[in-house]
Amino acid sequence: MAACACRHQSATGDGAKTFVLLLAAVLGAMREGSPRRAARALPAFERRVLERAVARGLRPHLRSAFPAGGPGEELEAAALEALLEAYLRGRLGPGERRAVTLLGCELCARCGARRPPALRLLCGRFAQLHAAAAGLPLARSRVLPGVLLRRDFAAYCPAGGRLRAVLVTRCLRPVLTGPGVECAVRSERQHRAALRWCGGRTEAVMEHLRSGGVRLLLSGVKQHEEVIFYAKLHGVSVVECLSSEEVALISEIAGISPYDPAGDSVQGEIAEAAVVTFCQPLLLGSQRYVHIGFSSAGAFQPHCLVLCAPVDAINEQHAATLHGAFTMLLQLFRAVDQECGAEGESQNSASGVGSGYSPATETRVVTESIACGSSQVSEHQLGACRGETAAQSSDLALQESERPDGTPPASAPGPHSKELSVCTDGADSAGTHKLPALCECPDGMNESHRRQQAVCSHRNYCTAVASTATLCEHLGVGKGPEKAGYGVTQSCPSSILEAGSVLPVGGYFEILLHYYIQHYAKQVQQSAVTVISNVVADALLSIPKALYGTERNGFTKFYLETTEALRKNQPLPVNEKGLESVYCKYQLVTSVLHCVTELLNIDLIIGVKRPLQKTEDKDSDDDF
Amino acid sequence: MSRLEAKKPSLFISEPLTTVSQPLSLLIAILKSCYGPAGRLKQLHNGVGGYVCLTSQSSAILGHLSVSHPVLKVLTASVQNHVSRFSDCGLFTAILCCSLIENFKNLNIASCTIIKISKHLLSLCTDYLKSKACGCQVSVDFSNLETLLCLVRSILTSKPACMLNKTEVDCLAVLIVKAFMYTVPCHPETKPVLGKCVTVPLKGKRVLDSTVIPGLLIETPEIQFAKPFSVKRTSSDAVKVVVFCVSMSGDLFDPEEGTVTVHHKISLEMSELDQLLNVGKQLVNDEVGLVVCQKVIHPSLKQYLKDNHIIAVDRAGLSVMEPLSQVTGSKPIASIYSLSPSCYGSLKDVRAESFASKHFVHLIPNDTTVCSLILCNRNETTWDELKTCCLSTSSSKDVECSPTQYQLITDAFCHSLESVACSLSHDGGEILTDMAYGHCWLVPSGFPSASNWSDLLSKCGCGINSSTKDLNWRHLQPLFGSSPIESCPKEPSGKVTDFMTLDCFAAKYNGLQVAVETANLILDLSCVIEDQN
Repeated sequence: MAACACRHQSATGDGAKTFVLLLAAVLGAMREGSPRRAARALPAFERRVLERAVARGLRPHLRSAFPAGGPGEELEAAALEALLEAYLRGRLGPGERRAVTLLGCELCARCGARRPPALRLLCGRFAQLHAAAAGLPLARSRVLPGVLLRRDFAAYCPAGGRLRAVLVTRCLRPVLTGPGVECAVRSERQHRAALRWCGGRTEAVMEHLRSGGVRLLLSGVKQHEEVIFYAKLHGVSVVECLSSEEVALISEIAGISPYDPAGDSVQGEIAEAAVVTFCQPLLLGSQRYVHIGFSSAGAFQPHCLVLCAPVDAINEQHAATLHGAFTMLLQLFRAVDQECGAEGESQNSASGVGSGYSPATETRVVTESIACGSSQVSEHQLGACRGETAAQSSDLALQESERPDGTPPASAPGPHSKELSVCTDGADSAGTHKLPALCECPDGMNESHRRQQAVCSHRNYCTAVASTATLCEHLGVGKGPEKAGYGVTQSCPSSILEAGSVLPVGGYFEILLHYYIQHYAKQVQQSAVTVISNVVADALLSIPKALYGTERNGFTKFYLETTEALRKNQPLPVNEKGLESVYCKYQLVTSVLHCVTELLNIDLIIGVKRPLQKTEDKDSDDDF
Repeated sequence: MSRLEAKKPSLFISEPLTTVSQPLSLLIAILKSCYGPAGRLKQLHNGVGGYVCLTSQSSAILGHLSVSHPVLKVLTASVQNHVSRFSDCGLFTAILCCSLIENFKNLNIASCTIIKISKHLLSLCTDYLKSKACGCQVSVDFSNLETLLCLVRSILTSKPACMLNKTEVDCLAVLIVKAFMYTVPCHPETKPVLGKCVTVPLKGKRVLDSTVIPGLLIETPEIQFAKPFSVKRTSSDAVKVVVFCVSMSGDLFDPEEGTVTVHHKISLEMSELDQLLNVGKQLVNDEVGLVVCQKVIHPSLKQYLKDNHIIAVDRAGLSVMEPLSQVTGSKPIASIYSLSPSCYGSLKDVRAESFASKHFVHLIPNDTTVCSLILCNRNETTWDELKTCCLSTSSSKDVECSPTQYQLITDAFCHSLESVACSLSHDGGEILTDMAYGHCWLVPSGFPSASNWSDLLSKCGCGINSSTKDLNWRHLQPLFGSSPIESCPKEPSGKVTDFMTLDCFAAKYNGLQVAVETANLILDLSCVIEDQN
């Protein structure tokens, strides 16, 4: 449970506590009844109840964090603050959260990180983009323009105005020998001449840099004393021994690659130079930093955060919290796409991902799932697959029965009959329809498979479970519409969840989902699914119960007010400014359900004396 | 295979604040008794033996005390971080933080309300302290040395463990201010940069033998110079100086990968030494008078330089390199294969000096902001504190709660502040405050409390205000809740006088904020989970 919760937290930056609460509530309610049966019914529940509840029930209540009529995917400033504030409320003390929220908002705004490309950089490089100082009050924390490097200048020559900087990853002084190279010295004179040449060459390179307007040398390695000397002589500042992460950060934000004075000539333009607006030493406590103002070459406007707190551990906590918050914000730009095609086919497509899709006949399904890396396919699991296929047909029957009820599903695929033909005779045309959709997102699928396989020995079940919803990344700007318009538009008109969907915090998501799961469960005739639906719907209420547990009758009041409004089709009574990302919440629910499936399928726990080795090879039959 | 040990389960302590009362009051008692100019010394020692520490400084006490309660660990870490940054007001921060926790804990009000209100009160305090109306600030007038002297003297006297008597304090204070003045450039540019003051600690001499000299002292192991000491001068009567930061020992230790094959009868060491002697020749030709090397100089080269009347100082070390280039204007040379005359620097004079048992080369510059403070004392740490302090002086609603709660929390906040002030008195003497300025007055012990205050008191605690009849004193006692001062404190009437006690404002300001923030942090703890592995 802890491993699953941590994995979820590291992926979405949010929800570890909710994960455990929800998981405990679901498992607690499942103690009665057959765990195997419940585990088998979970995928069907997810496809037929949960996805519908989110796509149709929840949708009218959702708000968007992107401004209406604004320029595409950009977080609204007010929404950003509401999201951060609500996120930090669960993590920081009452004295700190307001100040840290404002810092986070300022950092995002000044970095241009309200849009995905810059936000992704801020999130990925946050460790390099913040510095901490202990012994000062939190109020002294600042957002600074530019970047702080955790080094001191090896040579510092103050220079005003804009200047150029180059990045190097090897020593600028030539060496007599290299690895595997032998240098033969025939006379003392020759040796002195060689050393003198090395020095001269170093000076020539430095002169060349200086004449090209370069006043700052950023080095990923330690430079020779002579390099520092000539740099000082020519008025070039040097920062050396940068970590590989810092080098990567600089080349990413300035859009340059490392400079290498190649060959014998030191002529020619220095193309790979960054423009620097200022460059100065900065002292934070006892730690010396180099503070450099890069002018940006991309979407990211370089700014960094200086965190202050009385104790170091508090700074670490604030930094980790902000990092988590940015990870959470990044998830907001994702959408959950409808699995294109009939819902009953999901495990076929799952097995197809690993090895390319092939028309689904029953025997092929089994062989594919073996090829997909499962260690063993027992007779039992074959039975399970057959059972699923049987469920498929009932599912299809259900969809057809649903059609005449006058509400054409917004997200469910229209041409059921066509998909039906896929199942029965494996028509080629359907195969070509599906192929692009599957090829677009194999990465995410494989990743989730691998992650699950790491902890779960029942791999077959994982493959059957993991892929009920295809999660497409909508992070590339403009890529989304193209995808939607490619090949599958007709069968897949919209997503389950659109990017940027938010809800007010305080249990509204759980209450809504509780309500709509119950609503859509009534339309399902399979008793196992109905049971699961009730279990999950009730388990969801454990979250608002925990939230309102401190007040007397707080939860009952909240529950009654909200459900009353839902029944009357009125807007929800919200007096809450904070927002939360619906993608993260939805992801949380599906992760919990996957975790439940894994846990329910465990029938034996074996304690071992030695620590487990991570085995990479997937077909290790000898283990059993 | 490494042995595996079963992991110990984590230790879970819920409601840590319920168990903190006793250790907290002990810590407060220790800290309070150290506070202020009349603070008492603490002797810290280990029962097993070893080093004994006599101190009243918060950094030493908190550093040596082994605190086991997790709440107090947070508190001491926070104070130590503050001290490492400001080197002052550590006791103030610690006492205030402790008494805030103690007072707030007894209130029985939800911690989030307390935190909200105390943050609000803190912002009121900081706003007042930053405002022009604040009577606590005395701006340092750099044209008048008295204020600077007072500041330095206050710090020196508040550290009784230095065992300085009054003459020694006066002497040191003058020296420190003098050293500080040397580092202020004579021709201020748009953005003046302070120079450097290098301390030379000397043990075994009297404090009164300390002195400040302009220029730089470089320690040399023995008198290695020809007597009488003379230095070669250029035609313009200056001494030319070259500084090397590369080793001149003649060793080959370039850490290059790969192999160097050397033919028979060829010695790279000889080649290197030849090059060193070439350098020597060029130095002689260029009329250089002094060679300083950060690392080792080869004995042959040293002898050669000596024969040619060039003073050679090696093993100078990295720490003097920066002041050395400031004093001489030379650039440290990193290659023995190219000597550029543009790297040479110059000095007005070079002398050999010895203090106590140590020998120095004294570099006397034409005009720079570098000076050396020769500090003769048993204690070498005070100087750093003094310098930081000198430098830092130069750089100088709607709360949702009931009115009763607000009143209670505000009272607790004020009592904590007052209890810090009260801990200035250690002999049972009374502490008064006046209603006009809000300053603190200390009554010596042994006087009846109903006597006529204006006869008894002459100056307030800090020395700014003199006693007059209309000051309207009252007792400052945190336990009995004091009536607030109605009017705003008046501007201090007195001018800066001789013997004022001053604190560094930046340190105090930060200490106040850190104390309140740490107290809030601790109040919000509901459980402690300790990993015992």
